[in-house]
Amino acid sequence: MARPILMPQVGQDLTEGKVVAIKVKVGDKVKKGDIVAEVESEKASFDVECFETGTIIEIRHKVGDTATVLQPLMMVGDEGEATAPAASPAAATPVPSAAAPASAIPVKAAPQVVAASPAAAQLAVASGRSSPLARRLASEAGLDIRQIKGTGPGGAVVMKDVEAVRQAGPGAATVLSFPSSSPAAGGGGQGIKSLQQGAGDPVLFIHGFGADLSSWRPFVMLMNAGNPLLALDLPGHGSSQDGTVTGFADLVAQVQRQIEAAGLTRLHLVGHSLGAAVATELAGGGRLDVRSLSLIAPAGLGPKVNGDFVAGFLAAQSEAPLKAWLDVLVHDAARLPGALLRATLAGREGTRLAAQQGRLAEAVFAGSTQLFSIREALARYQGPVRVMVGDNDRIIPASYADVLPAHVALHRLPQVGHLPQLEAAGLVARLVSDTVRSAG
Amino acid sequence: MTREIMYRDALREAIDEEMANNPLVFIIGEGIAERGGSYKVTEGLLAKYGSKRVRDTPIAEAGMIGVGVGAAIAGARPIVEILYVDFAMLGMDMLVNQAAKFRLMTGGSGRVPFIMRTQGGTGGGVAAQHSQSLEALFYHIPGLKVVMPSQPADAKGLLKYALRQEDPVIFLEHKHLYMTKGPVPEGEYVIEFGKADIKRPGKDVTIIAWSNMVPRALEAAAKLAEEGIEAEVLDPRTLVPLDKEAILASVAKTNRVVIVQEAVRRGGVASDICSIIQEEAFYSLDAPVEIVAGLNIPVPFNLELEKASVPQVPDIISAARRTLHLQPRAIAAQ
Repeated sequence: MARPILMPQVGQDLTEGKVVAIKVKVGDKVKKGDIVAEVESEKASFDVECFETGTIIEIRHKVGDTATVLQPLMMVGDEGEATAPAASPAAATPVPSAAAPASAIPVKAAPQVVAASPAAAQLAVASGRSSPLARRLASEAGLDIRQIKGTGPGGAVVMKDVEAVRQAGPGAATVLSFPSSSPAAGGGGQGIKSLQQGAGDPVLFIHGFGADLSSWRPFVMLMNAGNPLLALDLPGHGSSQDGTVTGFADLVAQVQRQIEAAGLTRLHLVGHSLGAAVATELAGGGRLDVRSLSLIAPAGLGPKVNGDFVAGFLAAQSEAPLKAWLDVLVHDAARLPGALLRATLAGREGTRLAAQQGRLAEAVFAGSTQLFSIREALARYQGPVRVMVGDNDRIIPASYADVLPAHVALHRLPQVGHLPQLEAAGLVARLVSDTVRSAG
Repeated sequence: MTREIMYRDALREAIDEEMANNPLVFIIGEGIAERGGSYKVTEGLLAKYGSKRVRDTPIAEAGMIGVGVGAAIAGARPIVEILYVDFAMLGMDMLVNQAAKFRLMTGGSGRVPFIMRTQGGTGGGVAAQHSQSLEALFYHIPGLKVVMPSQPADAKGLLKYALRQEDPVIFLEHKHLYMTKGPVPEGEYVIEFGKADIKRPGKDVTIIAWSNMVPRALEAAAKLAEEGIEAEVLDPRTLVPLDKEAILASVAKTNRVVIVQEAVRRGGVASDICSIIQEEAFYSLDAPVEIVAGLNIPVPFNLELEKASVPQVPDIISAARRTLHLQPRAIAAQ
C-alpha cells in the first residue's frame, strides 16, 4: 500500500515551503533514514527524511515548487504498485466501459504514467470507488480516502478498510490532503488550505470581496470546535489569480468545483459578505451535504452595496487612500489592524489581483447594486443557519437582515461594522462554533 | 401468558373479540358464514353472532366492496373478506376513488372505517390469477392503510387495532401463513399501526421483510449466523404507515440492507423503501441496498417455476453476503 512522505512542518506558523532539491526518482529503492528531498522556509533549509522502506512510486512536486506542510511530497510503495486502486481484473462483474479511462491504466505502467503527469495521477485517484459510509468515516477521522487501499468490489474502499487504517494508528494514515495552492490542473481546483487540524466534518471558511483565506487566521484561533478548519481563496483573490468570473452563478460554480476537486462532500460553511452569499448558494444548491451555515455580514439579501467603497478600494494604490476606504469597513477605525492595509497593498504588488477583482466586481455588482439574491437558497436550506451582522455596517445595509426565514437565527451586533469577525471576534467565533456544534 | 396458536385462529379471535365488543362490527364474504371461510378464519362466528352480522355474499367483489365502503361511510364497521387479492381488482374504484378520498373530500368530517381482509402470494400452483402480491397497488394510493402481518400475534393485534381506528384498511394476509403457529398473548391487546418489529436482532445486515417473506428471512438469518453473520430481521408489519424511524435506526446500526418482497420487483414497495434509505441514510451505507424480489412476470403455474419466480432462502443469503462484500454482486434484475 502506498504511504506518503510528507512535507515537514518547517516553521511555527508556516504553511508552505519551497522544494529546493529532490534526491530520488520514481523507481528508486529507499529505506528508513534516507534523505529524499530538501526544502526551505524563509529562514532555513531542511532535509526531508524517509520513514518508510520501499520504492518511490510517485513524486508530487518538482524542484522550485511550493509545497504545503504535512501534505505528501512523494509516495512510497511496493515496486510496480500504482498509487490508485486500479480495478481488479479478477472482479466478477465487469465495470461498464464508460468508467474505464482511469482504472484502465495498466498497473505495470502506472509509475511512469503517474510520474509523468500529475493530472493523470489526480484522475486516477479520483476514480477510486468507496462506499458512502467509508467516505464519511474517513472524513470524520481526517483521513484521505484516496490513500486507503480498498478491498470491496472492484477495489472499492469499504468500512473495514477505513477501520483498518484507523486502528493502525497515527502514521499509517495520511492526513486529509487537498490540491496544493500551486497551479492546479483544469482551473477551479485551486487552494483549499488547512488552517487547523481536527476531527469530524471540516469547516470551510469563505472570505469576502477583496480579502483572502489568510484573513481568517486570527479568527480561527478563537474557534472552539474540534473540527478541521479549512479555507479557500475566491477566484481573483489570494493565490487564486487566474480565471475570470462571468457572474454570481459562475462564481458559485467555480467554488463548488474547487470544493469537489478537494474531495469534500460533507462540511460546514462559514462565509463573510460575498463569501457568505456563495456559501448560502452552495448550501441551498443541494449538491453538497452542508451541515451548518454561518453567515457573517452576508451579501445577497438586498439590492444595495456601497459601490463607492468597491471602486475606491480597488483604485487605491497607496496607504493613505486605501486606509481611508478600509476605515469604512469597520465601526471604529482604531480596530483596523495596520497589517490588513500592508497585506492588501503587498498582495496587489506585481499581481493582477486588483484588475481581477475589478472584473469580479463588475460581474456581481453593477455600481451600487448587488446583481444576485440568496434569499431563495436561504429559504431552501434547512440545516442550522446563523446570520451575524453589524448594526453600523456601511457596506451592506444591516436592515436587510431584518426579514429572514423563520429558521434562521439573527444576531445584530451593536457598534460593529462590516467586519464582525474582526470587530467582535470573540463573540462571532463563539457563535460560529456553536452553529457547527449544533449540527452534531 | 402466551400460547401457541395458528395465524387463522389469531385472526378469528380478533374478529370474535371485536364483534363481541362492538355491535357495529360485521363481516361479509364468499362462503364465510356456513362454510366458515376457505381458510377457516370465520368458523363458528355465524352460530355466535347470527346471519345479520356474518353474511355470505354472491361471487360479486365489486358489489361486496361497494357495500362495505358504503356501510363504513354510514357509520358501521364492516369487514369485507375477499377470497383472493387478485379479485379485489373488481372493486378498485370503490377503494381508490371512494374509500381513500372520502375523508379529504368531506373536509375530514366523513370517515371510512372499512376493512378489506384478503390474502395473496404464491402457494402451491394456483397460477397467475390467484398468486399475486399486490400490496404496491394499495401502497401507492394515499388514504389507504396497508397491513401485512407475518405472525399470529401481529395478525391479531393489528386486526383489532384496524377495527378501532377510523380509516380504510387493506389487510393483506398470506395463503401460506394461515396454518403457521406462533405465540399469542392471552387477553386483550392491540398493535398500533406504524410500529415495525425486530423479529431477530443483529448487527451486520438489516433484512427488511414482510408477510410470508419474514419466515424466509428468519431462516436465512439462522443460516447466516452459522457463518458468523448476524442479520437483523425487521418486519414493518404495516407498509402504510411505514415505520421509517425503525428502518433508519437499524440501517445506522448495521450499515447494510437487504429488502425482500414476494411481489414483482418493478414498481414495488421495496424500491420505495430503498429510495427512503438512500435519501436519509446514504452516509450510513457500506454497500448498495440489495432488493430480493419476485421476477417481473406473471406467477407460473408449474410448481418449480413458481418457486423460481419468488425469493427463496438462498436468494436472501446471497444478497446478505453481497452487502458484506463476501461475494460478487450479481447483475441487477431487469
